[in-house]
This record gives sequence, C-alpha cells and structure tokens, in this order.
Amino acid sequence: MAKLKLGLYWAASCGGCDVAVLDVNEKILDVAEMADIVFWPIALDFKYHHVEAMPDKDIDICLFNGAVRSSEQESIAKLLRAKSKTMVAFGSCACFGGIPALANFATRADIMERAYIEAPSNDNPDKVLPQIKTQVAEGELELPELYDTVLTLAQVVDVEYFVPGCPPPVPLILKVVEAIATNNLPPPGAVIASDKTLCDECDRKKEEKKISKIYRPHEIDPDPERCLLEQGILCMGPATRGGCGALCINVNMPCRGCFGPPAGVIDQGAKMVSAVASIYQANGEEDIAQMVRDIVDPAGTFYRFGLSDSMLKRKRLQRR
Amino acid sequence: MRKVTIDPITRLEGHGKIEIFLNDDGDVANAYLQIPELRGFEKFCEGRPVEEVPRIVPRICGV
Repeated sequence: MAKLKLGLYWAASCGGCDVAVLDVNEKILDVAEMADIVFWPIALDFKYHHVEAMPDKDIDICLFNGAVRSSEQESIAKLLRAKSKTMVAFGSCACFGGIPALANFATRADIMERAYIEAPSNDNPDKVLPQIKTQVAEGELELPELYDTVLTLAQVVDVEYFVPGCPPPVPLILKVVEAIATNNLPPPGAVIASDKTLCDECDRKKEEKKISKIYRPHEIDPDPERCLLEQGILCMGPATRGGCGALCINVNMPCRGCFGPPAGVIDQGAKMVSAVASIYQANGEEDIAQMVRDIVDPAGTFYRFGLSDSMLKRKRLQRR
Repeated sequence: MRKVTIDPITRLEGHGKIEIFLNDDGDVANAYLQIPELRGFEKFCEGRPVEEVPRIVPRICGV
C-alpha cells in the first residue's frame, strides 16, 4: 500500500495540539511508517506555496487545530480542505472555538485597543494599530484581516471528524492513528470520543445531586472522593462529553468542558445552566438571586471552550 | 524593489512571516518580521474569576 499523506496545521491555537501529537512518543514512528507528513509548520519546513502546488485531494488526512479568526486562517482552511480527502477538526479550538473563542465576548476593536494601546507593557504613544496594508519605504507590507468573530473549523469548511480536547489526550490520538492505519474510520461527522457525559466516566462518589450553595475554590476544602458538583463546586461534567479519562477531576480540579457538549446536546452552556438549576435547592426568590450572584462568571465558565459553537456564538455587535 | 516573502516561518511555536526587500543589486535593503496572529488574551481574561486564569493563560503557548 502506498504511504498515506498527512498534513497538520495550526490556526488560532497555542501549539499544544501539535505537541500532543508528539506526546504519543515512540508511536510517532508508527505514524512515520504509515504516513508521509507533507505539511506541518511547527515541525517541518513546508510553505503555503508547497500546499498550493499540490493536486486537489492529494493529502489523505489533514489534522487541523486552532480556531478560525483571521482571513489567513480561513483561506488556509479552504486551501487544505481542497487538498485533503479527509479533514479532521483536531482539538477544542477547531471543534468548538476553544479558549480563543472567549474573544467573542469582545469585539475586534476592543481587543486591538486593549492589546496595542491600553495594556501597561505597551510603548505606543502614536496609538499605531496593525493594518492590513502598510506602506514602508521599500514597498508594501500585508497582514491578514482579524475577524470580529472567532469561528470553528466546521463554520468555514466541511469537516469529516472531530477530535475534541485541550489538547486531545494521547489515547484518543492513538485511536485516530489506529483508525487511519487500519482504514477503519467511523462514518463522517463522528466525534472521536465517548458519546456519554464526563460524569459517566468520573469515579467520584455520587450520592444526591442537591446543593444549597455554590462555592469558589477558596471557600471550600473539597472532599477528594465525592462528586465536586454535589459539594457545590461548579463542574461541567454533566454538560461535557466524556473520553478524556477525567484528567482534571483526578487532580481535584472541576471540569471546564473542553470536550464540548455530549452527543445530542446543541448548547453546552444551556445544558449546564439546566443542570445547575435542577440541583439547586432554592428557598425563595432571594435564594435564587444569591445563587446567581455566587456564579461569578457564568458565560465565561459555561462557555469556556465552546462559545463559537454555541447558540450564543458571540456578544451582540452594535449596529453601525 | 524585489520582495521575498517567507510564509509561514516554520519550526517554532507561533505564527510569523518575513518580508525581505532586495535592492537592484540583489542585496537586502530591509526585512520585516510580521506576526499575522492575535487572539486577544489581554482582553478576554478581563472579567474571568482570578482563580480561573491559571487554566486560561497556559493556552497562550502550549509548547
């Protein structure tokens, strides 16, 4: 059998997904055995023009990580889609927007202002902002357009498979590699993780889901054996897809939802609101108001990794 | 003036491109490093509870 051609790309991401691929350790040699890597900016020196020169559908599998928040990222996503038989949204940013999608609570103008003018480490008295085109003495410089809204990969191109996680854990990556190697991929559209919730794979003792106060970490010393949510600590387990191996829970940290919504759930944050509302033992309206106050940052907590993919999508933009 | 563009800069964490301008003799007249990437941590960390920030900012760079 001819060797497979594999491409990897990062858009708005941190590089953690690329490193996660290397975290498979010696198994990376199996990948090298069955596939030639034809594009991988973090590790290999291929340029965009090399990809442009490939015939269409030349890459067998493209693992695309990162959200799409600039014209460059959108055009590379479209380019790689055209050149790839199978497109995989790899990691939470490509699947749901991830941490970069928190920028959807602001606007491009807010972000530019903060990053380049207000931030205390800046030295920018003329308030220069990045421009798409800049004239310099020698000619013209170009930058991509930064979009107002951070998008998921599937909001820009067709995607065959979704591998969630921030980053995807090694066992899941190996599952993907094995599926590719044995030509045993699931039907298109599949999310390569569990279909159940994180609670389903969490070993903590669950008794009765009833809480009367929501705690921040400094207000409570959690019992390491018991369900965090039952102790009043916001844990996204009921609204999050399983498949991570409960990594955060096992080190006494509540889930923040990086695997996205479980199968059949459209909006992870709404699911979590419903989960909290159904276990809160309220004694009158003032009690409910207090609970709402105790959740310091509901939007940023319930949509920590999933704002682009949610029904909210972003903060409302002012009409111009 | 001729322009040579190196895009993307590879084998590092982060996005970058280099634009090099060559004069008529083919020597480098000037070179510019461009960063075609901004996510906006400076802005979107605002409003997040302080105890959550250690779980957000590691995603500035995961390498």
